[in-house]
Amino acid sequence: MVSATKLEGGYCFHSKNSPLDQPEGVKIHLYRLGIEQHDALKSFAYAGQGSPSLLDTFILSQWENFAQKGHMGYDVTACELKVIEGQRDFVIQMNDKWNTFPLKKHDKFGHPFGCLKPNSAKSYEELLLCIAEGEDTEPEVVPSTTPPNNGVLLIANAYPVEYGHIFLVPNSTNQLSSFWDKRMFGLITKIASEVNSTAFRVFFDDGTSIVPKHMFFQACYFANPLPVESASTVALYDGATRSGICVSEIVDYPLKALVFTSTNVNALVDVVSEACLALHEKNTVHSLMMSNNGRNVFLFPQVKNLVTGCYLSAWECCGYFVYHTKVDFDRASETGISNRMASFSFQDGEFEDLKKLCCAIADDLVT
Amino acid sequence: MEGEERRLAASLTARYSEWVLEELDELRGSFLLTDPAMPGHPIVYASRGLAALTGYPRRELLGRNARLFQGAATDRAAVSGVREAVRAQRAHQVAILNYRRDGSPHWVLLHLAPVFHAADGRVLHFLAVQVPIAPASSPRRHPGRPPAFAACREEARGEEELPCASHVGEVFVDIDKRGLEAEEPRIASGCDKEMALSTANSIFSTLNRYSKLTGLVVCERRCDSVGIPALSSSLNLSLGRIKQSFVLTDRHLPDMPIVYASDAFLSLTGYSREEILGCNCRFLNGPGTSAEVLEEINRHICREEACTVHLLNYRKDGSTFRDLLHVSPIRNSSGKVGLHPFQVAFHVWVHLDESAKHDFSGLTPEVWQLGAVGAVRVAVRSLSASGSLLRPSQ
Repeated sequence: MVSATKLEGGYCFHSKNSPLDQPEGVKIHLYRLGIEQHDALKSFAYAGQGSPSLLDTFILSQWENFAQKGHMGYDVTACELKVIEGQRDFVIQMNDKWNTFPLKKHDKFGHPFGCLKPNSAKSYEELLLCIAEGEDTEPEVVPSTTPPNNGVLLIANAYPVEYGHIFLVPNSTNQLSSFWDKRMFGLITKIASEVNSTAFRVFFDDGTSIVPKHMFFQACYFANPLPVESASTVALYDGATRSGICVSEIVDYPLKALVFTSTNVNALVDVVSEACLALHEKNTVHSLMMSNNGRNVFLFPQVKNLVTGCYLSAWECCGYFVYHTKVDFDRASETGISNRMASFSFQDGEFEDLKKLCCAIADDLVT
Repeated sequence: MEGEERRLAASLTARYSEWVLEELDELRGSFLLTDPAMPGHPIVYASRGLAALTGYPRRELLGRNARLFQGAATDRAAVSGVREAVRAQRAHQVAILNYRRDGSPHWVLLHLAPVFHAADGRVLHFLAVQVPIAPASSPRRHPGRPPAFAACREEARGEEELPCASHVGEVFVDIDKRGLEAEEPRIASGCDKEMALSTANSIFSTLNRYSKLTGLVVCERRCDSVGIPALSSSLNLSLGRIKQSFVLTDRHLPDMPIVYASDAFLSLTGYSREEILGCNCRFLNGPGTSAEVLEEINRHICREEACTVHLLNYRKDGSTFRDLLHVSPIRNSSGKVGLHPFQVAFHVWVHLDESAKHDFSGLTPEVWQLGAVGAVRVAVRSLSASGSLLRPSQ
């Protein structure tokens, strides 16, 4: 038998299924980060060990539950994947149902959540959980009717690009900057660290934002490293002995890119935030990808493609592409993809300036 | 960082006993061992010879991925070949341009070989021997060749105090010309190849000897003891990171045999992996196992639906446990397994002993199980270059 105390004391996951029975309002799952997680060294110390993290299990479970209830637009695990064998091993997916802008309909996510109304329960189905800073040493999951201000909402994407595709939307009324909130980026980094899964990757796109003036992130689970993660790097700035920040350049990759690595969350958040703000001030579109439990952040500055007028999404920058038609999927080649990526890449001069800037930012942090 | 080092060392000591490190230290030659099951596929052992050859102190190498030796002029095709060999879990020899810690390039013959668990054919480690290749006796040089690449690196190194100095970037700007600027490719002599092989053999014999102390036993060649196709290495590794108790069964083989069992499942039931691979899940059943519930599972499997049931099951020692069992169909996205592309390829069976004390940090057992299902679905998305979830037959 199930231990009775555990079940009764435990937070019942299925309580969400019957929101109408609850006069006090819709309950959402609130995950409170443990305080000790805030200490960078401690939180990284157990990376890769032992059982899966509570948050990892909870996100996967909530997403799987959402999928098993039939809320997904399609089953992404049935979408064919292929490696284009070559120097870079780009990964492509055949998916004729993928929709680029599913967040469009979520106008409400542009505004902070107040108290959730029971009668609008249906539209909150995709809200998997909310994550906020906690006050206890251990992380915990509790029911809540009000997503806390300054928390992050995890919303399932019914049109996923890969398994576990979620939007991470800040629930904040007093964001200082509508484009970039360093505190929020810090929270996102902590979440990536807390998930503690090598498969979990977080994306950010500036300039292609579909919810204008509202910063949000996306995340997916990828079983394999993305192609950019296997590319060679050359160190530009090595602050390993001081701030713990290293800035490297990705070489031999069609899209010019930098990667920031550190085991110090705060230093990483500071440097990447500075770099993103500097790019934003110059109206330069850029994308980010965070991997390795929040220890690596890839930065892809982009130029506008004059032919199409569009930009690459963060996963495309990483070498992962979705094709809508079988013909295109079968025809996709390394050369074709490389050329497409190169058309968004910075010029040498611009990139040199960015490299110098990023090294200077990393260096400033120390002194 | 102390803990990190201990964790890396445990990759070896847990499998080959504490003494293996000393014994490896005695061996000549430059070589390293990596653990593909750890995140980032890190180096877990580096020999003294390797430290001398590359200029990296041994401590600095531990925990890093072996691609740190590659640099701007390293031939990408050679790197792809190595990557492919790792994926296919086979031995591979290639001459490759590596970089020392000080940035100077040097040619080595890289000999790569997987170390297999003798009992179940899993890859536990990869072994990489590096034998320096001497320049050919009459080196041919391109006329008008630009100054040696090493000199550029040297210059960059001089600027370490000013890390933003533009030199650092300039050195790598012209990567497109790397074919021209790189050193003349060197060819390994028969002698180099023999030396690589003999170093590898002595490492294998050490590992094999010490693995017998822990009862694990490793070998150079995979021994497929069971008559079922093995999963690809990338899938095996991804599944290995999932800590919940579960098995995977192959939908397309007669009688739906188990093709993967997690460590937690083995400790729950008391069976060893080789005892149950290839078996149908019914070996867990016994007197008192509800036939109706088993029938219900079958119905859901036929309809390709997930189900959760309570069942009385048996461990190897004959003791019973209340099994909270969740069964879900798992699709295959590579489209190359069996006759039914993109259809259900596997079933995941997540078992939970309801009477045991579990710490789910306030989550219900059902949440815990669905989390495992999600993790398996992610793992099954892992790709090998062949596009198949099954290992290419040799």
